[in-house]
Amino acid sequence: MRCGGRLKTSISGHSLQVAWAFATAGLFLVLLANFEPILTFDVVGNTQSNRIFTGVFELIGQGFWPVALLAGFAGMFAPAMHLGAIWYVTAACCLGLRWPHLRRAFRLVEILEPWNLVPVYAIATVVAVVKLKMLGTVAWQQGALWVIALSLCSLFAAQAFNPELVEEKLEVLE
Amino acid sequence: MTVSDSARVEQAWALVVTGIILYVPANILPVMTMTVVGDIQPLTVLGGVQELYDSGLWPMAAVVFLASIVVPFLKLASLTWILLLHGKPGLQRERTSLRRIVHSIGSWSMVDVFLLSILAAVGQLGVLAGVQAEPGAFFFAAVLVCSLLAAEVYKPRLIWQTETI
Repeated sequence: MRCGGRLKTSISGHSLQVAWAFATAGLFLVLLANFEPILTFDVVGNTQSNRIFTGVFELIGQGFWPVALLAGFAGMFAPAMHLGAIWYVTAACCLGLRWPHLRRAFRLVEILEPWNLVPVYAIATVVAVVKLKMLGTVAWQQGALWVIALSLCSLFAAQAFNPELVEEKLEVLE
Repeated sequence: MTVSDSARVEQAWALVVTGIILYVPANILPVMTMTVVGDIQPLTVLGGVQELYDSGLWPMAAVVFLASIVVPFLKLASLTWILLLHGKPGLQRERTSLRRIVHSIGSWSMVDVFLLSILAAVGQLGVLAGVQAEPGAFFFAAVLVCSLLAAEVYKPRLIWQTETI
């Protein structure tokens, strides 16, 4: 008991392997989700394919770089870094390797967790499609599937990543 | 870099108060203008919700309304409450779970920033259609960052400190 709450004592064994697997899959999906167009938009013959960074660059172009920075950070950079950090820490723990800066990577996972907002991005895309239909013709593209897959992988990886278990393993490694 | 606990409380206060002040322009000023068939419409956050509701898409209107108006407000209000009770005994478990809830739902207000970034990608497609970001977006983004940082600065362990500083 601590601070009126019970501390967890027993931890199930395989959660780090699960987190590792989801992080590996997630890292591939990050590439696909960022480079494949998510949707195409068409107004009187002007067709445009949109990726996550299209919007970010357009916002910079319109002079709204702080907003662009926020969208780019939470939509592209933070999810990639978060999954990367989970991958690094869980891989080291599962393989029993003493890679450098494990502590730092572990901290990074905790810092970036609230910033991995790909699931929120997926919802925003759905709302955006509805709004864009008022302007022209919208069609979903392959990238949308990758974004959904990436949000599921991020959620599962974060769920399986057990900080107490990692802490234990890191102490053993050190 | 280590920050003393009293400095953390002060920083959290500063961020929350800034957030509350910026919440007003964030909701009054338009966040974007949409040009639909040559007709230029400035849209506030609430206006965007209204527009969705009017087109009969009330579930989506509800999501955007909750995520971009209710959540930021509740987040700022609960952080204020938590900070007001800082150093006082009592309700510490409630404060701890409230802080956790704030932490986990807080990120949902990013829906509007992402929405803007997807819509703005359209840019100006001729005179008939286009989406342009407007200054309200700055304030909206600033409110988000302020409340996120405030929740980050005010660590959960500070709730359990009972001595007054």
